[in-house]
Amino acid sequence: MYNLVWKDLKLGINPAFLLFPLVLNALMLIPGWIYFIVPMYFCWITMPNIFGGFRAQNDLMFTAMMPVTKKDIVKARVSVIVIMELLHLVTAMIYGIFTLRLYPNLTYYFFAPHMGFWGLCFVMLAIYNLVFIPLFYKTAYKFGGAMCASITAAMLFAGVAQWVGIQSPRVNDIFNGSGADHTALQLSLLIAGIAIFIAFTLIAYRIGAKRFLKVEIL
Amino acid sequence: MLAIDIRNLNKKYPNFQLRDVSFQLEKGYIMGFIGANGAGKTTTIRSILNMIHIDSGEVRILGKNVAEHEIELKQEIGYAFGGFEFYTRSKIKTLTDVIKKFYANWNEETYHSYLRRFKLDENKKVAELSTGMKVKYSLALALSHGAKLVILDEPTSGLDPVARDDLLDIFQELVLDGEISILFSTHITSDLEKCADYITFIDNGQIIASSEKHEFMEAYRLLSGSESQLNQVKAQLISYKINSFGFTGLIRAKDFDPSTNLKAATPSLEEIMIYFAKKEDAYV
Repeated sequence: MYNLVWKDLKLGINPAFLLFPLVLNALMLIPGWIYFIVPMYFCWITMPNIFGGFRAQNDLMFTAMMPVTKKDIVKARVSVIVIMELLHLVTAMIYGIFTLRLYPNLTYYFFAPHMGFWGLCFVMLAIYNLVFIPLFYKTAYKFGGAMCASITAAMLFAGVAQWVGIQSPRVNDIFNGSGADHTALQLSLLIAGIAIFIAFTLIAYRIGAKRFLKVEIL
Repeated sequence: MLAIDIRNLNKKYPNFQLRDVSFQLEKGYIMGFIGANGAGKTTTIRSILNMIHIDSGEVRILGKNVAEHEIELKQEIGYAFGGFEFYTRSKIKTLTDVIKKFYANWNEETYHSYLRRFKLDENKKVAELSTGMKVKYSLALALSHGAKLVILDEPTSGLDPVARDDLLDIFQELVLDGEISILFSTHITSDLEKCADYITFIDNGQIIASSEKHEFMEAYRLLSGSESQLNQVKAQLISYKINSFGFTGLIRAKDFDPSTNLKAATPSLEEIMIYFAKKEDAYV
């Protein structure tokens, strides 16, 4: 399994995509922006490029020739997706801390980058994984449809969450108002988000692995 | 011991079917797997490697069932599918560094000795290798992880005669001590005449014959005679061609009556393949 993760990081993924979050997430420094857009670049740019790369390099056949189980192939690929997602979110969170310090008196119309907001971002990626991974492993090479469906689902969630955040005074208060200074509340929102992320990704892996067992490698 | 033991393999596709494919390869020998394009060679090979799901039948490698011992067996199988068409923009060195981690019995010394022998430069990218070099790279990988069975899908297609001859010599050396067995599929039958011990012939998803090479060729006769003589043997012929001198046709040796004054010769593998393909056309 670790060998497969190593293979993806060393061979499969262009190193530029490992540096990409460091540069791209500087977008977090834009004051008062719709910060949901920042982690969404992962879904829009990084994922399609990485998966296009795998297909162009004939990775599926290469991997199938190695002495590994089909289950491990899926497990490793899901792990790689999670590694990339964490890389994006963690760097974005670090930039977010700077944003909060740089503009202390800003009035946020959209969500401010507090921990509660990052909890929502974890949920967004959880939904993304839950849609993408099972759809992709129907064939293990066609990623266009899975990509469209998963991006749409993630964007719908982000859109609705943001809309509720603006419309509902209570939600607004939790994420941007007085609740934002309440560390325990914020931390619990983040933890809840991470828990959903873990649960959805595990479900996605299980469905994906089950489907991949039926795939014929040609 | 049998290196490969395939019994009653069946696999149905919408437009193609493998029917009751069975053949065995004794350890330490080279088997040529021949058949026209689309006859089912690659499908058979993929099912040996458990890459596709077979409908029924059993595949045993080195005495073990592939479906049950896939991982263990893949440590002992080396393959080359055509060339090496993966991560072609990466350097050989980078690729090997990744690949060797998968194999428990990887031997660095063996690997380097094969690189030297095959004149492979580790710092070259896969895309910079010629087709022959790619096959040699696959072979170097297979032999460095101690493969007991080497499966090659059309390794010699697209190679020039010198490179082909070179590869065939290597194959023969590999099986010398009786530890390594080779199955290689090809439609370049002259390669097999040079180096194979056994021949398995597949046509339209069915195994026509699987036997020792000379036995296989001796099982058929290539007849030639005038058009008027054709009628005497027409019913027994597998197929035939008519030309301005008369006809030539392929017949099973057991169906041939030597008392007729037809000219009979032992056919080459290529001729056997061609006449079988022609038989199919006749039914279409």
